Amino acid sequence: MKKILFFCMALLMLGAFAGAQTEPAHIGRVKGTSGMVSIQRAGALKPAFPNMKVYLNDTLLTGSDGAVGILLEDNTLLSMGPMSRLALDKFDFSPARNKYALQLRMEQGTFVYLSGLLGKLAPHAVTLETPSGTISMLKESNFMARFGGDE
Amino acid sequence: MKGIHRFFAGVALAVAVSGCAGKDNLIVLTPDDSGRVGALKVSNEGGEAVLDRDGQALHLGDRHTPPGAPVPVSAQERALFAAALAAQPQAPVSYLLYFEFDSDTLTAESCQRLADILHAAEERHSQDVLVIGHTDRAGDAAYNAALSLQRAEVVRALLVDKGIGGEFIQISSHGEGNPLVPTADEVAEARNRRVEVVVR
Repeated sequence: MKKILFFCMALLMLGAFAGAQTEPAHIGRVKGTSGMVSIQRAGALKPAFPNMKVYLNDTLLTGSDGAVGILLEDNTLLSMGPMSRLALDKFDFSPARNKYALQLRMEQGTFVYLSGLLGKLAPHAVTLETPSGTISMLKESNFMARFGGDE
Repeated sequence: MKGIHRFFAGVALAVAVSGCAGKDNLIVLTPDDSGRVGALKVSNEGGEAVLDRDGQALHLGDRHTPPGAPVPVSAQERALFAAALAAQPQAPVSYLLYFEFDSDTLTAESCQRLADILHAAEERHSQDVLVIGHTDRAGDAAYNAALSLQRAEVVRALLVDKGIGGEFIQISSHGEGNPLVPTADEVAEARNRRVEVVVR
């Protein structure tokens, strides 16, 4: 009986461990919202609110009265105004393994980008896809951008 | 649900309007807090252009339109970013708290900094506080690993005591491996006996 109990406990622990392993880490958080702001994740649209975690492959959307600010784990600050759409395509901030990547897709709207540690430590690992072409960072930069959207 | 419908209608409208506003794409290089600007390259099927001066802007078309030369940004164009700028989150802020030698007792001066940390967390409505413990290189590495964790635990307890939710605090410890001031082994250095608190 004791053995079976032990076996069950081992299974439970294994399950908990596997769960912890497969749960993806968040890459940032929503810090502030005004008006209508949503996150599109795995095909579903959910309202965004302050302190909500954001994950790789999320798309952030604002409505006609919306604005949102997000903070990525490397301290990059991103904000966008009304009618904007931003996809988080790549994020890797692993200084211990010397691995860096940030790729965002600014599909439409107005954006403010304030560089964090990725821009500081690895500017060449930062790219932004836009309807006008690709923005790449030659040196750590802050910028604002506006796109009317894809035609 | 009604809200979501309205939202989609809004998106559809924006896409329709942007169909005739393709030339309005704009990138503006801006300085950091200390006034420095970086450098960006925009490249597409038509060519490429570089922005490397404060307040320079590129007016862009679609992916096939060659990017033109940079021009100074106008006040009218800056105004387009008012809503996005207003939504900009506050930058994370970090504090260093110092400890007495071989101890998990904060120096008197560092005790007084706790109020600043609480203020920063309130201001940001923060649910994301990092507490990272460190030691100097006096004593062996294993002892220091334990001491740095103990220091981080003490700071967490103090912050929780002052009202920050324990579930919002992540602690970690770097032992003697991440000194602020590099020293030889076995050197006691007050500036390395610290806990870093980052409020995001």
